[in-house]
Amino acid sequence: MTAPTFFDAWHYDGKSAIKRKVEVQTIGQQFFLLETERRHGPFMFADVEYIAQKGDVDVYGLNGEDGWRLMLSGPVPTELAAMLPARRRYGGWVDRLGLGKATVAFTLASAAAVAVVLFSPQWLAPLIPSSVDKKLGDALVGDFGGRFCSTPAGDAALKKMVASLDQNPQDLQVEVAKIDMINAVALPGGKVILFDGLVKQARSPDEVAGVLAHEIGHIREKHVMQALLRQMGLAVVLGGVDGNSGALVNNMLAMSYSRGSEAEADAHSMKVLGNAAISPVATASFFERLSELDGSARSGDKGQGIAGYMSSHPLSRERKKAFEKSIVKGKNYKPALTSAEWTELRTMCTQDRKAKSGFGFDFN
Amino acid sequence: MSEDLGQRHSAFRFHGTWQEFAGIAFPNLLLTIVTLGIYRFWATTREREYFWGKTDFIDERLEWTGRGIELFIGFIMVFFLIGLPFIIIQLISQGLIFRGETIIAGLVTLLMLLLLFYLTGVAYFRALRYRLSRTYWRGIRGGSDDPGFQYGISYMWKSFAGWLPIFLMVPWSMISLWNERWNAMSFGPHRFVATAEWKPLMKRYLLFYLVPFLIFVGAVVFGIAVAASGNSPDALGGTGMAIGGILLIFAVLAMYIILPLAALAFYSKYFRLAVGGLRLHNLEFEFRARAPDWILFFLANMAIIICTLGIGYIFMPYRSWKFFIDHMEAYGEINIDELTQSETIVSKHGEGLLDAFDVGAI
Repeated sequence: MTAPTFFDAWHYDGKSAIKRKVEVQTIGQQFFLLETERRHGPFMFADVEYIAQKGDVDVYGLNGEDGWRLMLSGPVPTELAAMLPARRRYGGWVDRLGLGKATVAFTLASAAAVAVVLFSPQWLAPLIPSSVDKKLGDALVGDFGGRFCSTPAGDAALKKMVASLDQNPQDLQVEVAKIDMINAVALPGGKVILFDGLVKQARSPDEVAGVLAHEIGHIREKHVMQALLRQMGLAVVLGGVDGNSGALVNNMLAMSYSRGSEAEADAHSMKVLGNAAISPVATASFFERLSELDGSARSGDKGQGIAGYMSSHPLSRERKKAFEKSIVKGKNYKPALTSAEWTELRTMCTQDRKAKSGFGFDFN
Repeated sequence: MSEDLGQRHSAFRFHGTWQEFAGIAFPNLLLTIVTLGIYRFWATTREREYFWGKTDFIDERLEWTGRGIELFIGFIMVFFLIGLPFIIIQLISQGLIFRGETIIAGLVTLLMLLLLFYLTGVAYFRALRYRLSRTYWRGIRGGSDDPGFQYGISYMWKSFAGWLPIFLMVPWSMISLWNERWNAMSFGPHRFVATAEWKPLMKRYLLFYLVPFLIFVGAVVFGIAVAASGNSPDALGGTGMAIGGILLIFAVLAMYIILPLAALAFYSKYFRLAVGGLRLHNLEFEFRARAPDWILFFLANMAIIICTLGIGYIFMPYRSWKFFIDHMEAYGEINIDELTQSETIVSKHGEGLLDAFDVGAI
């Protein structure tokens, strides 16, 4: 069975750095390495692993023998070549499939992973028990550092407004915070925070009702939990991408989704305003004033350019138009609050001296 | 059987060509993109296999035996052991801020940053250890039995000590940490001995340190001289303004050109001293690149990246390795019979920590 071979074979035994000129003697599934006065082996072909190609030399190692090397060059006999492991270029899967096919397969797998992360939150979010949602909201907000305003009459006015806008007001927690910013946020656990700046600048209770209905829309459509899940998923999937480009893709995807959510919340707002017989006119004029702030009124009909596409909120001007369209002519609208109630709500934060004001931190 | 290195031109030689490397770099880029970055661990491994395999030390090529999966596992470990807990801690501290507990939130964040700093030190150490344990020459590898946790502590206190006297002791901390790192490493049966000195580095460091002040003082002196040589401020008028503007431009340019040059001059001296202080048994090492070599190297890198509209970036590992090997030199002799296998432990995971913090090794 032994057949002498006529090609170059060198060997390191992994124990010392001495380079040995050897001949490979094959016996079935085993082989010996023959020096002039020494015989190394037997070794199993099954233990041989491909290490590297150095110039025209193929280097093999032996599983379990640190530093053991067999280096072959020249015309290796086909019987021996058949016993040795294949060359490795890119790594396991790519070598098996070939570069072209592997590229296609990886592209499809990546697209599928991104798609799952983008679409699954829509049906995953409702599966998260509301107790978890509640705990998360409590952990995040707590008492908001004592910034919530409260007076008996103001609380009653707010409660009346919430009740007119939602059929299950008991699982919502709406608060006014003593922060001088025109903003409102929906948070996990059915929490809505209206900033005092928004309430103070409003020209009528209908305006506050429109914004509040929009935030309640976010909660009823489960947008908060969806956005949270989507962000977590994208962070995992794009975690492998180099920092900056990953963050850019992540932000753009998140942004396009939040634009969709804003439109849904607006639709919810218009619907419940209609049900409560509160006029959407005030909310439309609120967006009119906002559009003067964000500049979309000035940019003419080309307003839905880059700014409209990239910003998370639909352009204020478009929202104004949408709210104006939802006005039903001849409908008997009534104000969201009586003027006494409205005064109590607007002055709640001024009256409540115990509430702390401002942030002490950067909100954005 | 021993090799006398004194007879040879250079103990280290690199045989690679950029054309060959392109055949590795472009498929790597493609696969990295379509796998959303996950392939990059295998990409790095392929690049290293090429660099090591094309590098001669005396009469035999080096061999890189690291695996992409090791780097990947390292990355995953860091993600779950460090990344995830840190995201949670950040959420908690945000919650604390919401509740107005700003001081506690600040403390939590400070602790987190300190821990990250410690782990950066550990990461430097473990990356060097990983690379040595995967580098083979004549079937023999390097490594270390030290896990590097102690080094992380040294990294923290020596860095702080370097910064404390208005950053004047940075050269000491850099050299001292280099020595500590390399003294823990070995190749085959031999320990590395690192005895680099920091004092010869101070002159270059002061040059770099004082550049901003020198530029400022120079600008002020020149401005006064111009003002004094001119007539009254009224007579100068527009020209005075123009000269002031030109001065300002010069000062800004000086900051952007002279400061990096001074930094390179410092780094070149640092690396020369650090490598020059390194011994392995009867081998001594030298790094021959001087400041002008480094400057040319960086200018060429910038030119390549700009002229190729950024694609040249994928050739930077090639350029760095070539620069490194072309300027490496070793003297002394190696007794091949004495060079036996390293008995250090081999960890199964790669440079996850280092990868996460995005810092260079060696």
